[in-house]
Amino acid sequence: MRIKIDGIEIDVTSGETILEAARRAGIHIPTLCYHEAFGGQGICRMCIVEVKEGNRTRLVASCTYPVNGEIEVKTSTPEIERIRRNIVMLLYRRAPNSEFMKRLYEEYGRPADITPADPEESCIMCRLCVRACEKVGSHAISAVLRGTEKRISTPYDEPSPDCIGCCACAQVCPTGTIKVSTMPGKYEIWNKAFEMDRCESCGRPFVPPVILEHVRSKLGPEFTEEHLCPDCRKKKTGKIMADSHMSK
Amino acid sequence: MAGDIRQAAALQEMEQIIAQYPAERRYILAIMQDLQKKFNYLPKEGLQMTARHVNAPMSTVYSMATFYKAFSLVPKGRVNFKVCDGTACHIKGSQTIINEIYQCLGIKPGETTPDGEFSLETVNCLGACAIAPVLVANQKVYAKVTPAAVREIIKEHGGQINEPAVNE
Repeated sequence: MRIKIDGIEIDVTSGETILEAARRAGIHIPTLCYHEAFGGQGICRMCIVEVKEGNRTRLVASCTYPVNGEIEVKTSTPEIERIRRNIVMLLYRRAPNSEFMKRLYEEYGRPADITPADPEESCIMCRLCVRACEKVGSHAISAVLRGTEKRISTPYDEPSPDCIGCCACAQVCPTGTIKVSTMPGKYEIWNKAFEMDRCESCGRPFVPPVILEHVRSKLGPEFTEEHLCPDCRKKKTGKIMADSHMSK
Repeated sequence: MAGDIRQAAALQEMEQIIAQYPAERRYILAIMQDLQKKFNYLPKEGLQMTARHVNAPMSTVYSMATFYKAFSLVPKGRVNFKVCDGTACHIKGSQTIINEIYQCLGIKPGETTPDGEFSLETVNCLGACAIAPVLVANQKVYAKVTPAAVREIIKEHGGQINEPAVNE
């Protein structure tokens, strides 16, 4: 099936989203809550595009809109730009305290002069952290409460028994809201401390046992029982390769 | 000791409620409604049991429990006041009722008195706009409530009133 995005003809498979098709063709559509590992969430609405089907046009979120027929897509119109500026303005008003949002706010030409609700707030509620936590399989965090009070947290704001300290949430967070505080031999995230096991080769603390357990349960027999940090693992693999080369 | 026994009995009741439902995620809401009805709030243990029963993460159950206004995560009082703050009641002065309750009992919407006797919440519309402003104490409906009536209602339900500072 062929569709047109900004005048460029693109072959798509039925069911592919407009955003995926556009990215494949190198057409940029701005997004905030999209990550290719999780697919579209349709939360932030930044990826809004105009879809023309027959002589009907409408605005859709391109990250969740599956292509099922001949359509023409425009990724930027004055109307869409206005909506995107509005989204940026509202998000900046909610959560101005990150380089990410400050840059975005400037990029969109400082839409409206506004006083942020809470100058310390930095979470834009994109839920990428929640998706990351689900994907890893620990389901420790979720959106709690609702409306203006909505935020991301663990149940009862307590250290979650489900959290394995993988820090995928902190890594995926675009605004750096989720903090990991590191101390010698351990670190803390979501109010939960994780003591790290030491590498059996160099003695450097590198991973909490609960993550090893988690990986073991996911990998099954593929799991190696070696207690090596990434550096020592690399060295060892390199040595094996070098040795096998030498012996030839 | 008595507390332990009561706690054990409560846990058993939770188990009974939850066991009535098939172990599927779509029953989370129904289970929580039953728990709320029985205990007047959602006990933490109840939510944990629900999560285990339907094999859902605790974070998902907690997310749902905090989303809906119909659920409370803190125990409601023996007498729960629902003050309607829908449009008609709002215009007819529901705020003065809420203020009066605060004057008498020291609780704001969403709060419970420390002795666990009274709690207060606002609701958006009870569908009884003709008798606005409306207050519901447990199941009993009071029509065209005035601040003076609030004091009577509190007394009727066995409440001690903090005498407010005399105005003028």
